Amino acid sequence: MAALWQRLQKQGGIELLIRVVLLLYPFFPVLDWAVQSLTGQGIRLDRQLVNIFIFGLLALALNLQVGYAGLLQLGIAAFFAIGAMTTGVLTVEKYPFQLGFWGAILVAPVMAGAAGLLLGAPTLRLRGDYLAIVTLGFGEVMRIVLLNLENITDGPRGLNPIAEPWLPVFVKDTIGAEKAIYAFALFALVAAVVLLRLLERSRLGRAFVALREDELAAACMGLDPARIKLLAFAGGAALAGLAGALYATNLTTTAEPNTYDFNYSVMVLCCLIIGGLGSLRGALMGALLLMGFDNVVSPLLTRVLQKAIGGDSNFVMASFSNWRWIIFGAALVLMMRLRPEGLWPSRRIAKELHEPPAEVA
Amino acid sequence: MLNVANMSASYGAIDVLKGISLRVEEGEIVTLIGANGAGKTTTLMCISGLHKPRSGQLTFLGQDIVPMAPHHIVRLGLVQSPEGRKVFPRMTVAENLEMGAYTRRDPDGVKTDYERVYSLFPVLQERKTQPAGTLSGGEQQMLAVGRAMMAKPRLLLLDEPSLGLAPLIVARIFEVIQTLNQQGTTVLLVEQNARMALRIAHRGYVLETGTVTMEGTGVELLADSRVQAAYLGE
Repeated sequence: MAALWQRLQKQGGIELLIRVVLLLYPFFPVLDWAVQSLTGQGIRLDRQLVNIFIFGLLALALNLQVGYAGLLQLGIAAFFAIGAMTTGVLTVEKYPFQLGFWGAILVAPVMAGAAGLLLGAPTLRLRGDYLAIVTLGFGEVMRIVLLNLENITDGPRGLNPIAEPWLPVFVKDTIGAEKAIYAFALFALVAAVVLLRLLERSRLGRAFVALREDELAAACMGLDPARIKLLAFAGGAALAGLAGALYATNLTTTAEPNTYDFNYSVMVLCCLIIGGLGSLRGALMGALLLMGFDNVVSPLLTRVLQKAIGGDSNFVMASFSNWRWIIFGAALVLMMRLRPEGLWPSRRIAKELHEPPAEVA
Repeated sequence: MLNVANMSASYGAIDVLKGISLRVEEGEIVTLIGANGAGKTTTLMCISGLHKPRSGQLTFLGQDIVPMAPHHIVRLGLVQSPEGRKVFPRMTVAENLEMGAYTRRDPDGVKTDYERVYSLFPVLQERKTQPAGTLSGGEQQMLAVGRAMMAKPRLLLLDEPSLGLAPLIVARIFEVIQTLNQQGTTVLLVEQNARMALRIAHRGYVLETGTVTMEGTGVELLADSRVQAAYLGE
């Protein structure tokens, strides 16, 4: 099995397969539409894929903070929530300043990025574990604030309905709003990947590596560690805000604030660890695996499970999504034990984990 | 060029420097010798801004550098090559040199400096694409010096470049330090290897438990009986 896998990899079979699937992404809604018109029943694949794209953006955002800059961040859901809430406030009828989706998609990352700056400026000097604690706390505080600021956020009901984006008439008539969101989310994801790839190769990208390797030596070369870390932190927060704006628009509501809880942040981190910390393709693969499991595999298995035990759908153990934390937990432990660099790591990070730094006399 | 006046520094409650004064003039090699724990590295850390002195003055090219952040000090042309080499082990040799030029905005000058580093240390050119962590100790030290050169220093601070290296390699590195100096870089050299350091230095200071106890030209200090007894093993 392993030998077969290796042979496929060497021959580029896997790469080729992935490229083909990637090229197909823009056409999934079309495919779905075709199936629907032929059989009268759609497979709704595009709806699952939008969620995966949005989660992929979130994974890329966290990767910028944790993977590139080495800042252990456990509160990414807070920035995601800020993006979603900003979109809500700027689009629902309750407020006089309606900017619509296109305005909100620009403001949401700015707000989330500003929150990132405000949180990061005083806390980024903290060492690893302490930063994790502060960000974890920030995430929980943000959730509770959103829950309790009922006058602004509508508390547990969430702000809704968020209007669908304004579209030119011909777009609206041909593909409709839902498929337009699909297309835009895909575009945003591709754009984020391209930009992050450029960042990796830029002067700043090298500075991230140097800082992870040896902060003192980097400072001696004239890098400003505080500023570089803050850039990564605010950039990641802004990207998470963008993901939040897409999430709320796709859902047509800002959702209940408890959605953006600690578990959500941990789930994004799981994507990175399973896919490969610091690796773009790893982050995307992690998002695909986890969200795919959550949205596609788990409902299917739940149906099978319920048929097998005979119908009592209120029984907790009968719902597969209640099992997912056990499964994710087991997956994490196995990953740490067997392949700490992730399933599809960046070459540089794999080295960082496997070779102890060369000992200097 | 660099003037340190009455500088004190401490780590918590422990006083490391008790009011030291020294100066470096343009074009010189000045060495700071002393035993382990005398405060040599702390002196350099204070000068490059990585550790803030408790009191005293530090001026470089007439500017007060005490309140400046390390990355600003590097931009003034005061560049430190830290103790223990501290290359970026998983970046390639070329990438390490590139990091040295991080603050620079003159691509042409950077290009000339790559060539200058490679001509002084041909071995680095041979190993350009190799991760720095796979180099030998001597090669890593050469890379650390080369990387500091890429920052275009006016004053180069070298912390123990001979640490843990074979005598032949030490000789090679000291030769390069002299060449750099002749090409116009001023050098402040911190060393435990007093004999080698004093041989190439124009002037030297002896640091003992946080105080400067002696100063003079390299030749004077080499001939001094107390220096000979304490640092040259004669």
